[in-house]
Amino acid sequence: MSQIVDPTVVPLRDPTPLERAGSAMVSLGRFMKGKPLGGSGLVVVVVFIAVALLATVIQRHDPDEIFETPNPDYKANPSTLELARNPDIGSPVLVSQFEEPGGGHWFGTDKFGRDIWSQVIHGSRLSLIVGLGASVIAVVGGLIIGMISAYYAGIVDLLIQRIVDMLQAIPFLVLVLVFTQITERSVLNVVLWLGVAGLAITTRLIRSAVLQVRESEFVLAARVVGASDLRIMIRHVLPNCVAVLIIAFSIGIGAYILAEASISFLGAGPQGIPSWGQMVQAGRGSLDLHPWQTVFAGGAIMMIVLGFNLLGDALRDVLDPRLRGA
Amino acid sequence: MQAYIIRRILGAVFVVFLVGTFSFFAIRVLPGDFATASLGLDAGSASADNIAQRRADLGLDKPIGEQYANWLWDTVRLDLGDSFLTQNTVWYEIGRSLPYSIELGVLIMIVGFSVAIPVGLISAIFQDKALDYSLRGLAILALAAPVFWTAAIASLVVLQWDLFLIDVIGQPHLWEDPGNAITWYLIPMFAGGFAGTATTMRLLRSQMLEVLRQDYVRTARAKGLRESVVITRHALRNALLPVLTVMGVTIATIIGSQVILENMFNIPGIGNKVLTALFARDNPVFQSVVLIIAVFTVLTNLVVDIMYGVIDPRIRLS
Repeated sequence: MSQIVDPTVVPLRDPTPLERAGSAMVSLGRFMKGKPLGGSGLVVVVVFIAVALLATVIQRHDPDEIFETPNPDYKANPSTLELARNPDIGSPVLVSQFEEPGGGHWFGTDKFGRDIWSQVIHGSRLSLIVGLGASVIAVVGGLIIGMISAYYAGIVDLLIQRIVDMLQAIPFLVLVLVFTQITERSVLNVVLWLGVAGLAITTRLIRSAVLQVRESEFVLAARVVGASDLRIMIRHVLPNCVAVLIIAFSIGIGAYILAEASISFLGAGPQGIPSWGQMVQAGRGSLDLHPWQTVFAGGAIMMIVLGFNLLGDALRDVLDPRLRGA
Repeated sequence: MQAYIIRRILGAVFVVFLVGTFSFFAIRVLPGDFATASLGLDAGSASADNIAQRRADLGLDKPIGEQYANWLWDTVRLDLGDSFLTQNTVWYEIGRSLPYSIELGVLIMIVGFSVAIPVGLISAIFQDKALDYSLRGLAILALAAPVFWTAAIASLVVLQWDLFLIDVIGQPHLWEDPGNAITWYLIPMFAGGFAGTATTMRLLRSQMLEVLRQDYVRTARAKGLRESVVITRHALRNALLPVLTVMGVTIATIIGSQVILENMFNIPGIGNKVLTALFARDNPVFQSVVLIIAVFTVLTNLVVDIMYGVIDPRIRLS
């Protein structure tokens, strides 16, 4: 069989990796220009990711290192009377607690004489892991459940919808507090439970998207030619839900970071890792005189959530203008 | 219409039942129970016999199926049992704490809506002007700031400049001692209101922009109505409907922030109760408080849905 070649038609070929990268840069540039707020959100997020990755490089001090200053009143072998007047007199060095921000400690030191700057730097790791990890779990889980719910309508759908209603009738924070107490409060478990608590919202979002796509004519056409349910789901419905998946992923991140900060603030967060929420709480004990730990840790939470929210808003506007403001 | 209402009510009852079942099993799945949690405090006396005895007293030694059946039957008869922690009936505990939470919740909503509605309106009217940008910027900040941090910074400001004294010991109600009560509630209500403002404001703004482009608004303008009448009578009314739709979610969010705010400011409300009951494994109180919160949000959703069905016939048919 001979093929007729039209000389005016340039044959289609896959773009080379370089061309792909180039076109990605062009769309990134267009995004930054068209959505300045989303662009600044992206910058904030990238900065935080860099900080988290390079935490040990830019920390200046070990976050657990306790700083000491020579004790001006030090006296070897003090008498009982002197000890009663000044309990610290016998120790040659004092913990340099509550230092003001300055050249030595950019953000000052906390109650135990540790460098607040280094703590805040290291806290970015937990927030990023929690935000991104929980969102991945919520979206993947929501995709599976939402697809099942939308595709197999009827009793299955009804039951899943009522369970989603149930999860949404309980305040998110209470749900997260209950879930995270079930297992040991390791970082991984907390991420997992946050994702599970977020399933209600992603399931609902993805279900309605699948319902819409399912009604389209190309799905009908696929069914007519005899495609199986699974094939229709994976080859036809899924690719048309990508925009919603990206939206569901990006708008949840800020909420998970805030939820982790809240449970850490209440003393029920992940253990053994610096957490901003826990730092805000620790600083509250001496808030009136030494507010810096609370101020900087809380400011960091606000910045990172702001970054993710701005980016998520812009992505949503670009990908699905109908959802604007939702 | 009747069939629609009945269907919605049945659905709501089922959701409340699911919440109750969830909270019943959730508090029992958690490691430890009230016997170990309370006796753990004085570890010396906590022998295995003591714990078993305490469990038997509380009925925690019965098979889980029997406990569940008992709970279900009692709850249907509105008997919520006694608190493990205080020995008082759960109804007494709720009766004591609910007024504080309603007080604070209403104050938060008043602050939230009285900021969100004018701000959303102004932002939409001055779309893409400097005013719009700065108001939206503020809303985005409000959404990003953790409520406990806003509250902590506000207390810092109050402490630094000695603005007023906060009475956290007296725990006064607004109707008993308005002066002390309002200073006590002032920071949590503004912190909570500020956090709750953002979503409503953004939703209202986008709805206003949508509505202002509609034909009926053009008609209203064309027949020479004043702009203020066009906006309040024709545009705002329609733009507010979606804000009402998400009322259930708004209330759930406010209750969520109340959990933290009540804990911070020592307000003995429902939010505080749910925390202490959860950590002390006080099963009857925890189950009941979660149930009451759920009834509250589900009821709000139900009322909104039915009102919507009355207003918009398309809804009840789908």
